[in-house]
Amino acid sequence: MIWAIIGGMTLILFFNRYLFLEPRLPIRLNRGVKEFLSFAVPGMLTAICGPIIFVKDHQLDLSPGNPYLLAGLCAIGLMLWSRNVLLSVALSVALFYLFRWWL
Amino acid sequence: MPLLTAGMFLMPDALARTAFVRGTIACLPLTLACAPWGLLAGSTAIDAQLTPAQSQGLSLFVFAGAAQLVAIGMIKGGASAISILVTTLLLTSQHLLYAMHLRPLVAPLEPRWRFGLGFLLTDEFFALVSPFDQKTFNRWYALGVGLCMYVGWNIFTLLGVVLGKSIPGLDQLGLEFSIAATFIALITPIVRNIPTVVCVAVSLLSVVLFGYWQWESAIVLAGLAGMVAGYLCKRLGGIWA
Repeated sequence: MIWAIIGGMTLILFFNRYLFLEPRLPIRLNRGVKEFLSFAVPGMLTAICGPIIFVKDHQLDLSPGNPYLLAGLCAIGLMLWSRNVLLSVALSVALFYLFRWWL
Repeated sequence: MPLLTAGMFLMPDALARTAFVRGTIACLPLTLACAPWGLLAGSTAIDAQLTPAQSQGLSLFVFAGAAQLVAIGMIKGGASAISILVTTLLLTSQHLLYAMHLRPLVAPLEPRWRFGLGFLLTDEFFALVSPFDQKTFNRWYALGVGLCMYVGWNIFTLLGVVLGKSIPGLDQLGLEFSIAATFIALITPIVRNIPTVVCVAVSLLSVVLFGYWQWESAIVLAGLAGMVAGYLCKRLGGIWA
């Protein structure tokens, strides 16, 4: 099953990368499709973060003592302040372990 | 695909070799910056009960950091194969835009170069190769950029796999937070206008709600809901403005 997923992902990635490099392909993406796809990164990445932060052991955890939530908010703040991805990730992960140990 | 790229190495002349080395050096800093995510891609895959071969296979064949981390997270969460593949398709759709942008440079090349450079097309590759035009573009430089990233990414993944194998109780360490932190850091700077705010808010609310309802495709449906909301908001804003 895992190998089928890896195989499928390989084909999808190569399709996305190669499609418009093929000289025989005459079509172009219209503006609407481009605009819709421009929301793929914020939309999909947010949807992936949601369960990691709010769901623990199949239960919704909206309490302010949730270390994932606290450290996630810190990651936003650090990113706004520093504009540096690597620094924000490293510091917020450190804060996550601090909160988990502390709370 | 590695066989195709290996074939390109037959007797490159001095100029080609110089361009290749220049490309490799240009990509080195970006490759090193990806080290933590490569380590994470390897160790979280082991954590999600993938075998070492499968964990390395993701980096060898798929070669897409965000998509790999997402797939690993979804596998760990028990998502279905189809929802993982749909998420991959949407999440990596920016490559369509990259390829369209690079089309004037790469489409005229022979098939083996198109396939090879196509396979190596990443965010970093696009960042380093897109500034060139048809006169200044050098295929060997592009190959150096792409292969530097590919080799580096796989070395870091391998280290992550080895590390993951040697640390017991990896799933109790909360490694998945680093995935969330990475994505938060990537999302934050692009939330600059109202449609994107709407997209992120709808996506977050829907994923929590759908997850609460225990929908199996919660992630992909919530992501799509966010994309549609952002797109509609932008379109409506255009009409009002």
